[in-house]
Amino acid sequence: MEALKNAVDFSDFPRSDLIIAILVGAALLIFPLFPHSAFAMATMIQFFIFSLYGMGWNTIGGYGGQVDLGKAQYVGIGAYTTAVMLIRWDIPFWFSMPVGVLFSVTWSFIIGYPLFRLKGHYFAIATIATSLVLKDLFEVWGFVGAARGLEISPIKYAPPDFLRLIFRQDVYYYYVIFVFFLIGILYINWFRKSRLGFQLRAIKDNESVAQSLGINVHWAKIKTYAIATAFVSVVGSFHACYIKNIEPEDTMSLNLSILIALMAMLGGAGSLWGPIIGAGVLIPLKSYLKEWLGASAGLVGIDLVIYAAIIMVISAAEPRGIWGLVEKIRRRRSR
Amino acid sequence: MPLLDVRNLTKDFGGLRANDAISFALDKDELLGVIGPNGAGKTTLFNCIAGLHPVTNGHIIFDGEDITRLPAYEVARRGLARTFQVYVASGDLNVLENVMVGAFMRTRERAKTRRRAEEILERLNLREVAGTMVSELPVAAQKRVSMATALGTSPKMLLLDEVAAGLNPGEIEEILAIIRSVHRDMGITVMLIEHVMELVMNISDRIIVLDYGRKIADGLPRQIADDPKVIKAYLGERYVHEHSGEET
Repeated sequence: MEALKNAVDFSDFPRSDLIIAILVGAALLIFPLFPHSAFAMATMIQFFIFSLYGMGWNTIGGYGGQVDLGKAQYVGIGAYTTAVMLIRWDIPFWFSMPVGVLFSVTWSFIIGYPLFRLKGHYFAIATIATSLVLKDLFEVWGFVGAARGLEISPIKYAPPDFLRLIFRQDVYYYYVIFVFFLIGILYINWFRKSRLGFQLRAIKDNESVAQSLGINVHWAKIKTYAIATAFVSVVGSFHACYIKNIEPEDTMSLNLSILIALMAMLGGAGSLWGPIIGAGVLIPLKSYLKEWLGASAGLVGIDLVIYAAIIMVISAAEPRGIWGLVEKIRRRRSR
Repeated sequence: MPLLDVRNLTKDFGGLRANDAISFALDKDELLGVIGPNGAGKTTLFNCIAGLHPVTNGHIIFDGEDITRLPAYEVARRGLARTFQVYVASGDLNVLENVMVGAFMRTRERAKTRRRAEEILERLNLREVAGTMVSELPVAAQKRVSMATALGTSPKMLLLDEVAAGLNPGEIEEILAIIRSVHRDMGITVMLIEHVMELVMNISDRIIVLDYGRKIADGLPRQIADDPKVIKAYLGERYVHEHSGEET
């Protein structure tokens, strides 16, 4: 009960923040009612997907300060679990999604135990390695379609199928992921005020101090890594039903892992709104860049150049991202 | 039975013996001072007791239990808290939140944790700065935050590592009063490392002196001040001269 109360309690934010949040929320709620292109709709759904990836990453990466560059592997595990279970045994999304989470979290404990013996850059590099190994395995594993991946054919079902999450119109997907998005915000709002949230922020500050305050640093990191993993895996399962065509390259690549980390890093690592702001800036940028520039052959991959530039600017100018900048300006004004 | 019993504690860093067969015991409600020149092994001793350094040899018994091989977080959970000489919080947590991290060790409930933290801030004159980031505070307040955070864990015993270093005389008075109140009113056994002699001599029930990793003296403050070995190794003739005739 106390947990629920903490999840819906946003009273430590200034009123102006909450008004903006409610206005943005209302705009997102009614967006599909207004005329829009299919492209805009797809971009919005991607915005929700990446907000959620970012929120998950933000638990371990932002609050805990552990730069994890291997989150894509859990997108893959979630997506593949749902796709395989639906295609082979006709098991619907709402059953396969928790199973995907179970696989992902189990895997995260297995690799998290040794991973968190490492610190800083070594940890980051090791997370990349584990993700790439898994991707290589999936590329040669016949059971999951190897490099060609899997395809969910909507013809077999009768959309709108809420149980299997198979829809013909994107607006259904929009509202499903919108609900996930709201639940995600409530969860993170609880998390940041929970014991584990406080412990992680102490760990980020100074691990020796954290230890001497009774915190089992290694275990706290592993637990949080599992939470981040669960977030990403749920959205991965959704991704499978929404895209309907999954392959290792776009569910487990290094690009995706970096993009996930970038949402929170750009928007503000270790803050509630950070990943949402990050996704709000980056996803439209990414979509429209591809649309405008992708057509001319010479400019393929320009989005990667832009990500690189963003990472450099953030780490040089404002490590706490856009939200850090907002808070800095606020503090200066209040003086 | 003593609350803390250190037996033949030895700690090597490679070829360097930082603590050499140190033994001492500390009763409940006692206030023990640890002094010695720089590099004598005082902080190493604290780190060994608190479980941050693996011990090379010897035993540490706390509250009847052998804690020699326990990791730092297990030592803390058994009621042995410590402060750090340099306590720089990078700025993610404000003062109240810092103390709450400590208080979260005993309960999951946020409301209870918050109340406990607020009580401690009150006691340590930190209430006005509860919402401030630790890095923005003056040194004296930062030292008190470090103490408050440790007290958040509701310890039986508190290890204080140079909480008076770098403070002016007024601030030393303040921290002295706080240490007394922690010791007497909260009933917490205290062991402190300190270079500020007025403070150690004033407050300690007993003092041990370290030099080159060995314990060279153990006794009442008055005895320590008169001990020729201690004067030679640490206090120097000047201290004895200046303070002769005082308190007699």
